[in-house]
Amino acid sequence: MACQVTLQDKKYPKLLKEIGKSAPKQLYYKGVFDESIFENCLAVVGSRRMTTYGRQVVERLVGEAAAAGITIVSGFMYGVDAAAHKTSLRVGGKTIAVMPCGIDLIHPEYQQDLYAEILENKGLVISEYEGEMQPVTWTYPQRNRIVAGLSKATLVVEAGDKSGSLITARLAQKFKRKLFVVPGPITSENSKGIMQLIKEGATPVSSANEVISEYPLRKQNFGKSSPPSPASRDPRPNPDFQNSFSTLEDKILQQLQREPGEIDLLARVFCLPVSKLSMTLSIMELRGIIKQEGNKYYVN
Amino acid sequence: MLIKVQSAAIRGLDTIGVDVEVNVAAKGLPGFDIVGLADKAVDESRERVKTAILSSRIEFPQKKITINLAPADIPKEGSVYDLPIAVGLLSILTGCQAPPKSLFFGELSLDGSLRHTKGALLMALFAKEAGFENVFAPKASANEAAVISGIKVFPVENLRQLLNHFAGKQLIDVALTPGVSPSTPGVYSEGEFNMAEVLGQEQAKRAMEIAAAGGHNILMVGSPGAGKTMLARALPGILPSLNEGESLEVTKIFSSAGRIPVGGSLIRVRQFRSPHHTTSPVGLIGGGTRPQPGEISLAHRGVLFLDEFNEFPRSVLEVLRQPLEDGFVTISRSKEKTMYPARFMLVASANPCPCGYLNHPKKNCICLPRQIKKYQKRVSGPLLDRIDLHIDVPPVEVNELSGNQAASDFLEPSSAIRERVVSARKKQEERFKDDALYVNAEMRNRHIKKYCQLSKEAEQILQQAGIKFQLSARSYLKMIKIARTIADLAGAPEIEVSHMAEALQYRPKNYEE
Repeated sequence: MACQVTLQDKKYPKLLKEIGKSAPKQLYYKGVFDESIFENCLAVVGSRRMTTYGRQVVERLVGEAAAAGITIVSGFMYGVDAAAHKTSLRVGGKTIAVMPCGIDLIHPEYQQDLYAEILENKGLVISEYEGEMQPVTWTYPQRNRIVAGLSKATLVVEAGDKSGSLITARLAQKFKRKLFVVPGPITSENSKGIMQLIKEGATPVSSANEVISEYPLRKQNFGKSSPPSPASRDPRPNPDFQNSFSTLEDKILQQLQREPGEIDLLARVFCLPVSKLSMTLSIMELRGIIKQEGNKYYVN
Repeated sequence: MLIKVQSAAIRGLDTIGVDVEVNVAAKGLPGFDIVGLADKAVDESRERVKTAILSSRIEFPQKKITINLAPADIPKEGSVYDLPIAVGLLSILTGCQAPPKSLFFGELSLDGSLRHTKGALLMALFAKEAGFENVFAPKASANEAAVISGIKVFPVENLRQLLNHFAGKQLIDVALTPGVSPSTPGVYSEGEFNMAEVLGQEQAKRAMEIAAAGGHNILMVGSPGAGKTMLARALPGILPSLNEGESLEVTKIFSSAGRIPVGGSLIRVRQFRSPHHTTSPVGLIGGGTRPQPGEISLAHRGVLFLDEFNEFPRSVLEVLRQPLEDGFVTISRSKEKTMYPARFMLVASANPCPCGYLNHPKKNCICLPRQIKKYQKRVSGPLLDRIDLHIDVPPVEVNELSGNQAASDFLEPSSAIRERVVSARKKQEERFKDDALYVNAEMRNRHIKKYCQLSKEAEQILQQAGIKFQLSARSYLKMIKIARTIADLAGAPEIEVSHMAEALQYRPKNYEE
């Protein structure tokens, strides 16, 4: 069942109220309305067409931020939005999904599993629209003001030059909130919007700490801790076996840290037969040192 | 006067003996009738036989002629009975005598000569099993029949020559059996491309080698232009030739479909079939009112290449499930049931998404996540589960390859890869000599238990992977089969950890988030 909070209510989120006239008169929500969830909010927005780089960035930065106790706010779209929600849930963090449609509608519908997961894990789904109102073109930017308004800072990961994330980013600046962006390769279409924001004065970040230091957090980790560094990881099943390949493993690791690549590329770089490389890569993947996505290998 | 001549009817891959009874009655109105469930082609044989006999300068009697094809309840089709009918009539008309224990078949031409007729191999096989000594076949089909040793196959050119043979004036030379022994040199297909022409794609080439060595099914996923089709078309070049048993199996299927060319003999080269994605289910698995082998049976012991796998209608793809598992297909029609072997290597290629550019380094994918999911779901899980090797074929930037890697002179040619494949197959033949299988891909659970010893470490790694990559029980076994093939390629008796680890690279991948 959807419940309602009005502007006059005491428990109406403070930061959202601060945005003045444009603050929604009422908020419908699903889940447990615990006021503490609004204390340290970070909006994470970005392209719907997220690249693997985008996913990596989200997993790294958002994962650490959520684990540190920051609530991740986003718009429940596919792409960066969904990745942000998922990452937050994975590390046991809190997350708020702001919907562009009526509170009783799941949009996009096929993300219903994620929707359920958010509610099951003490997350919150909110909307200023009641019932089963369909999302229309103007409700998306309206939704964005709530995303920006709820959050102390906004982090933009990947945005094209006409991305809706730019609307959220500019609203954040208008509301005098901190705006962080993650730079991407200048050759990517998804970096054009980011470049614009940097030129307009957004703060580029490359680590979660730069974001987390913006928040008055007690030095305490919430939920699961951030992923350990590759070196400290995993019980190695067989030290003898591991030693015989360690040098190749190191070389692969170095290469992949420079640039993720497919197995064919590694075979060319190291002039090794694929059979030998395959074996080493499988073992590294099983240990959790690297992972495969799309057709490339990435360092975890 | 009544004469009986022996022939046979072919139904699918089975052959049934047929007595051709020819009677020329002393009384009755002149006429020429064929009875015994004859189809149109058999019925028309009256005109061919009559004209052929006249063309051989033998007078055709104005009498009542009745031909009975016994047993009368089995449908007879095709032109195979022209020769036995003519032989029966000639025996009555000229008094010549066919040697005992002889089987006749063949289509007549109006000038009295014999034409290529389908099913020659099956006829000869039947002749041997039924205790015949001589087979009289059209010259064009004699090589095909002569594959069967232990019987005499006489290549007949025309009726005149046959009469001379019967009279002992001029004997027909027996066709020679093309012997196939293990020592006969292999016959290889060159393939449309040489593997050396495929630049980059190191992993895909290795996967092809493993697939060829163990007869494994393989799925290639990649953007348009990455080289999937080229890799598949280069595959025949690294396949070993058919061994004696396999050759016979394949030739039987082709013989029953009438696909052996004039003068053709035993098929030694593995078949490569690539039906288009508009192929009907019947075209793929076989069927029709008179069952014919489909693409999967024509690809028996060879390769069935399905390009644009996701574009095949689901109804067509799902029919592959049972034959992929069993290695044969049973076609049941109201009047006939036929079993065709279909132990083929499935090579499938697909795009990762509707636009084709998901994960492409240069081009942007314009598909929505939902569309991608839907596209990938077109091929059902159970079908994907039956594919052993799953690989990504990334696009290759030719100008990024350095000198050696871009020049096909430095890359390994198909023949070198084939040598390794052939030796791996020899090991498998040796291993399975007591079982009715040839390659690792055919192994059932009991064979895996018997032949796939895992070292302790290898087992450990597989268990870890099973948990980490969420392998299904079937994929788990597939990993062992692939590791067995990799070990065979390396010449190792036991599956070691390195083989297992490499096999894991080819596990089914999940493209969803």
